Amino acid sequence: MKSKEIAVKKIAAHFDINYTRYIDATGKPVQALPKDADKATLIALYHALVRTRTFDAKAVALQRTGRLGTYASSIGQEAVSIGAASAMRPDDIFIPSFREHGGQLWRGSTPTELFLYWGSDERGNYFAKAPYDFPNCVPVGSHAPHAAGVALALKLRNEPRAVVCVFGDGATSKGDVYEGMNFAGVWKLPVVFVISNNQWAISVPRNEQSAAQTLAQKAIAAGIPGEQVDGDDVVAVRAVVGAALERARKGEGAHVIEAVTYRLGDHTTADDASRYRKDSEVTPHWQEEPVKRLHQYLTTAGFWNKNDEDNLLKQVNAEIDAAAEAYLATPAPDPAVMFDYTYAKLPAELQAQKQAMLKSLLSARGRQAAE
Amino acid sequence: MTETTLVQAVNLALARAMTEDKRVIILGEDVGRDGGVFRATDGLYARFGAERVRDTPMSEAGIGGISVGLAAAGFKPVAEIQFTGFIFPVIDQINNHASRFRTRTHGHLSCPMVVRAPCGGGIHAPEHHSESPEAMFTNIPGLRVIIPSSPRRAYGLLLAAIRGSDPVVFMEPTKLYRGAREEMTDDGKALPVDRCFVLREGKDVTLVAWGAMVPEVLVTAAQWETKGVSAEVIDVATLKPLDAETIINSVKKTGRCVIVHEAPLTGGFGGEIAARVAEGAFSSLLAPIERVAGYDTVMPLPKLENIYLPDAARIGSAIERAMAYA
Amino acid sequence: MSTFNLPDLGEGLTDAEIVAWHVAEGDHVVADEPLVSVETEKAVVEVPSPRSGYIKRLLGKTHERVKVGAPIVEFDEAPHADTGTVVGDLGAEKPSTPRTPAPAKPAPAKPAPAAAAVPVQGKVKASPAIRALAHQRGVDLTRITGSGPNGTITRADIERAGSASGGKLAVGQVALIGIRRSMAVNMAKAHAEVVPATVWDEADIGSWWTWHGDITVRLIRAIVAACAAVPILNSWYDGQAMTLQTFDRIDLGIAVDFEGGLIVPVVRDAAKRAPAALRAEVDRLKTAARARSLPIADLRNPTITLSNYGMLAGRQAALVVVPPQVAIIGSGRIFQQAVPREGPFMFTHLLPLSLTFDHRVATGGEAGRFLQTMIDDLQKNV
Repeated sequence: MKSKEIAVKKIAAHFDINYTRYIDATGKPVQALPKDADKATLIALYHALVRTRTFDAKAVALQRTGRLGTYASSIGQEAVSIGAASAMRPDDIFIPSFREHGGQLWRGSTPTELFLYWGSDERGNYFAKAPYDFPNCVPVGSHAPHAAGVALALKLRNEPRAVVCVFGDGATSKGDVYEGMNFAGVWKLPVVFVISNNQWAISVPRNEQSAAQTLAQKAIAAGIPGEQVDGDDVVAVRAVVGAALERARKGEGAHVIEAVTYRLGDHTTADDASRYRKDSEVTPHWQEEPVKRLHQYLTTAGFWNKNDEDNLLKQVNAEIDAAAEAYLATPAPDPAVMFDYTYAKLPAELQAQKQAMLKSLLSARGRQAAE
Repeated sequence: MTETTLVQAVNLALARAMTEDKRVIILGEDVGRDGGVFRATDGLYARFGAERVRDTPMSEAGIGGISVGLAAAGFKPVAEIQFTGFIFPVIDQINNHASRFRTRTHGHLSCPMVVRAPCGGGIHAPEHHSESPEAMFTNIPGLRVIIPSSPRRAYGLLLAAIRGSDPVVFMEPTKLYRGAREEMTDDGKALPVDRCFVLREGKDVTLVAWGAMVPEVLVTAAQWETKGVSAEVIDVATLKPLDAETIINSVKKTGRCVIVHEAPLTGGFGGEIAARVAEGAFSSLLAPIERVAGYDTVMPLPKLENIYLPDAARIGSAIERAMAYA
Repeated sequence: MSTFNLPDLGEGLTDAEIVAWHVAEGDHVVADEPLVSVETEKAVVEVPSPRSGYIKRLLGKTHERVKVGAPIVEFDEAPHADTGTVVGDLGAEKPSTPRTPAPAKPAPAKPAPAAAAVPVQGKVKASPAIRALAHQRGVDLTRITGSGPNGTITRADIERAGSASGGKLAVGQVALIGIRRSMAVNMAKAHAEVVPATVWDEADIGSWWTWHGDITVRLIRAIVAACAAVPILNSWYDGQAMTLQTFDRIDLGIAVDFEGGLIVPVVRDAAKRAPAALRAEVDRLKTAARARSLPIADLRNPTITLSNYGMLAGRQAALVVVPPQVAIIGSGRIFQQAVPREGPFMFTHLLPLSLTFDHRVATGGEAGRFLQTMIDDLQKNV
């Protein structure tokens, strides 16, 4: 570079990351709520929060008594997936990680279906009432490119639908997540990436996950807008995701929303968070959690009283208990199912393996019965 | 001598390696403060500090690539991948770099690194947590692939892997982390990584296995002893480079071979062993070589796990078939 | 404190109904985390945890009324066991017991196919296909020198061997097959390898012998005692490697004669079986042997053999030791004899015993001591 061409001092690029909140930790509104957050909507959101939390507690209880496999509790983060799901249309597509039970329940998955998944039955991997939604994705972040791919399909077919993809703070360190966002940016895809930042990736805290000031700003690197929202304020999450979805449907491309929340429980039922974080750190976050927060707002606004609470708790508990019973009563999957979906049409050599497996099962059961 | 589980043996080997060689660095998700999700690195963070026991961001490809760089620049990284179900992003770094640096640079650069990961089923884990991908790695030239089946062998083989100069993928059977336990001493003695281990001598049939299938095969051999069939049991342990000679010599003696592995049958490492045995012990064979393996299906969820995994009954059927060719 | 009582809910309330539990037994909770929602007249109240810890027991059911001040939750004071994982179940710190395999029963017995009873122990170098061909042609591979690579037997070698007998049989001439063929092969091999020597003696069984008595179980007991005294005769010898393997366990071959020839089923672990069980097992094996329904497993690998040829005829016999065994015991026909007993002669019953042993391995002294131990045991009156 010749000396005359020394760069003039200028700003090549800059960005701001906005933060949105409507209701603070004590349940007080800090700004006027969006118009469509009317009483009925708020009550429906509260219902969903309580229902999700009750489902969650039941799942943990079932796991503790050996009737469910390892389970990842969403306690404390319900507002993120419920807020996002409540902003979606039924024919939008939800692509979760594995802690979005609230969002799945909002969109029509039944508690029994979710119990089946966590109870290690593949019949919990697809949902009668949400046929387009993807099942949980266990390898962290690997579903971000899927979301971009689905969004591309919608765009190619000119459909006014969009994709919501949810993953955690840990996932944002994966190459796959950047690659998904990058595709979404450069191809202007109708996908909203929601980062459910609960501050912990098993034992690794947020500040050891990335040196970035916010996770939302990773969107800037992909050329798409990024913003933060109070992840414990379900009204805020709904509003922000809703706005992003509107833009996506209008062809204005992708968006990244970082919902800031906190993982109040362990990573899974097998984990013990007290190995790596102090209980005293967790306690104050119980004051900010989403269920209590909305309850407080509704009560103060005169929308909710003791009878309502009583009835809701009774109704939700009865529903979840019944769903658990239905799950426990579901007969074990047929072993043949291990083979039947391996290919579109089972090849001859797999037919032979399947028959051999069934035969050896039969003779093993015969031997057992004879004893 | 103290009674030690397999995961404790791994922990002891790591601690010893860290002590004797300052170049050894441990990295991985949750390996520091939490001591690893399976406690394989328990206590090492407190003992050796955050510089040498490094909690990483969630980034398997990154962990693989960083290890390549660290190793090429003179350190000895021992990376933990939390589950073999998540090792696939690392295959790029292993196949395209770690295993071929030495070849490409005629020895100027090389990658003395170890990638450890828990493998295999039998612990009622959710999807993706019970994988057995060892065959994929055995097809990568320049790589060593090791799977221990006992605390002592885990200890001795891991020490050898870390002290060695080649890249190693070291898979630890989750089922044996606590499921295998024996008396052993933290004596710093490595085991050879160029030979199979004959765990039991016999004359009627050679049983070949690795990982969590080894205890299953030993149980089956004891059962068949009482029926007058004397089985020789070989723990392959180091799959690559393979000590085919031990296996071939055994089959020359017994005339019959049954290979057992959890991974799916087709393309599984049992095929390689069967080919070598057919080549090397052809005229001694009394019966076709048998393989007992996982079905060619996705590893099922816990409710069907026990049907999928080879057990003494299925291994016994294979022995029976081989013995029928008296 | 390890129990937590329902705190004062204010306003003079004395009790409340449990509406919903928010935690389960075993849960880890932190201070202020909601444990339970209870209903009073005025409100549904969330009761927060007073401390962090692990829930041991929930002391009330949903819809139950609980008094203020009554215990509702018990905390666990015991140290929390480390699961050692974040998914699945590794088992407790104790080792998991290996999955008890379904006890495999032997395959349903098929009639022993011709020549299949030959346990091929030799180092014949022949590929599987050649073996099949030899079997098909009735050619004995042990008699062929291979002309293929490394001395392997080839197709041509088989053809040549087949034509040596012309392939055709003269009138009245039969080719040996099946059990007779096996016997011919095994005896020839034994003769080629073993150096046999025989010791004979008699046991006075008059004190217990009745005409109806079956001596097999007493013989087995005597053999067990003798093996304990002189274990070397319960061994396998590898003449090529010159290695000897002596066994604690006695797998006793019992020669069974029948119209088809000779078959030798094996009583496994004879020393561990009680007399009644021995009798039953011997009967089972004999019946199955005669019915040709013995599975191969029952014919394999005896460590020492007994031939009770005396059931038919013969007093002393020099029997054949089949390698890798090193000994075979024979019992001959019981006969009456007058023997001196401190004065007058008395008639008693004597059981002739023959012990043929492989003199490459055992000495006459060892054989003698073995036989004497048998005699001592047989002469006991119970």
